[in-house]
Amino acid sequence: MTSGAVVVADLHKSYGAVDAVRDVSFTVEQGEILALLGPNGAGKSTTLEILEGFRTRDAGRVDVLGIDPGDRATGRELRERIGLVLQDIAVEPYLTVRETVARNAGYYRSPRDVDEVIGLVDLAGLERRKVRTLSGGQKRRLDLALGMIGNPRLLFLDEPTTGFDPGARRSAWQLVRNLRDAGTTILLTTHYLEEAQVLADRVAVMSGGTIVSEGTPSTLGGRDSALARIRFALPEGCTAAELPVAAAVPDEGLVTVQTREPTATLRQLTGWALRRGSVLDRLTVDRPSLEDVYLRLTERDVAERTMDGSAR
Amino acid sequence: MNTTTHRPLHRDLTLLRHQIRYEQLSFWRNPQSAFFTFVFPVVIITIFGALFHDVPAGPYFQGLSALQYYVCTIAGLSVLGSCYSQLAIVLSTRRQDGILKRVRATPLPSSMYFIGLLAHCIMVSVVTVSLIVGIGSLFGVPLPGHAQWPAIVVTLVLGAASFCALGVGVASLIRNAEAAPAVVQFVLFPLLFVSGTYLPIQSDLLNGITSALPVKPFNESLLGAFARDADLAWQNLGVLLLWGAAGAVVAIRRFRWDPRPS
Repeated sequence: MTSGAVVVADLHKSYGAVDAVRDVSFTVEQGEILALLGPNGAGKSTTLEILEGFRTRDAGRVDVLGIDPGDRATGRELRERIGLVLQDIAVEPYLTVRETVARNAGYYRSPRDVDEVIGLVDLAGLERRKVRTLSGGQKRRLDLALGMIGNPRLLFLDEPTTGFDPGARRSAWQLVRNLRDAGTTILLTTHYLEEAQVLADRVAVMSGGTIVSEGTPSTLGGRDSALARIRFALPEGCTAAELPVAAAVPDEGLVTVQTREPTATLRQLTGWALRRGSVLDRLTVDRPSLEDVYLRLTERDVAERTMDGSAR
Repeated sequence: MNTTTHRPLHRDLTLLRHQIRYEQLSFWRNPQSAFFTFVFPVVIITIFGALFHDVPAGPYFQGLSALQYYVCTIAGLSVLGSCYSQLAIVLSTRRQDGILKRVRATPLPSSMYFIGLLAHCIMVSVVTVSLIVGIGSLFGVPLPGHAQWPAIVVTLVLGAASFCALGVGVASLIRNAEAAPAVVQFVLFPLLFVSGTYLPIQSDLLNGITSALPVKPFNESLLGAFARDADLAWQNLGVLLLWGAAGAVVAIRRFRWDPRPS
């Protein structure tokens, strides 16, 4: 008996000569939100489709809620327990919102209440509207309703908020958090780093078919132990050499100081400025953002693909 | 023991009824499918009724009156539309739109999905055929007698099932849903003509060829069941079933749920 809702070990999948997924291992614990990040073609979708039972694997061990998704005999049981929100909007255009949700509810042994789910995805009041008259964002929310109508213990969300306006995105995040708090395990892919930052308990970054880093959004890629970055505009009539600490003046004319001790360094800098009677304009202190870390981790993959492109 | 075998069966029947209900809803709500598969044959038989209702029985129509002949062939046409054309087009469109993949993601077994579709198509066929026979009777074609019903039911169900299988087979071979209606009509339209749907074919050579294709055997079986009180035309039904089996084999080997080939 394994503790994780999803356990993947040494997963391999290739299409012809191309290794789409190699040596992928990760665990999603019960009741947590894991975000799988990575550029297009990194192997996220293939990994997800293997877990969902849509694709076979070449090698490795996969366990989803105690079921092997590669085993056709237990496929129906697996689908009773998982919910899927796929990338494309796919709903019958001529059914109403309520009919669409009620139809899928009928496919499950113990579904959630149809009207409750319609309310949860903010479609209350639109029950009798034909699906084809809904906006793109409303259709995506209907998709979300279809993913959760079976009362799944594990929910796969493949780029769930693409095409949402900022307000709808925030309420979708709240909905996903509520599901997690009610005990649902969630595995999501996203292109929005902000989404991973606010939503995920843990993040795994895929690049070139493997997982290149894994951690919480605040520790990923050594984010927490990275040097802090102090930036400000150089006071007029003064050069970087006059500063009390080592500094670089790279882009946008802003001085950048990297430091392990931001408190002490800041004191040195501000003390120096006050004594001179000048100000440190546009002063900021930060650590590498999740986006900085992500771009650094996936750099190799992007570079490789750019080279591929120029070779063609 | 008993409950474990009884419960799933009960559950499956509930599921099947549920699935048929929503197939019916999707079908009748869609103006395109409702028009082409339902209204079209009804309009044709009404026009033919107005044109040919006083053409008496003669050798040109195999010893039948013109309208007796057309009630059978247009009934055949409506079954082709409800089963073959509808499935080939609907399934390739649903695949392209990702709806099939979405169905696959639910616990609904694929067998149940297809049995539901088959039952839905047979129900649509029964409704359209009844309407066509009813309109024919308004123009003086006698309604079939009690003794004919068993042959009519068997012919309709076997024909509908065979053309459903062919429809799923063709849907398995079509890659691009936009091309589906064109592919379906391109095959069907000439076949209907040479099989005598719109005009009785007097050429023995042509009849010999079309007897081995699916449409003419179906027309002949319907003519036998409706207009002559002949027994079941087993040879014709046999040819039809062979085509249905061929469609089923292609479907089983080639059918895909996913819009993107791996």
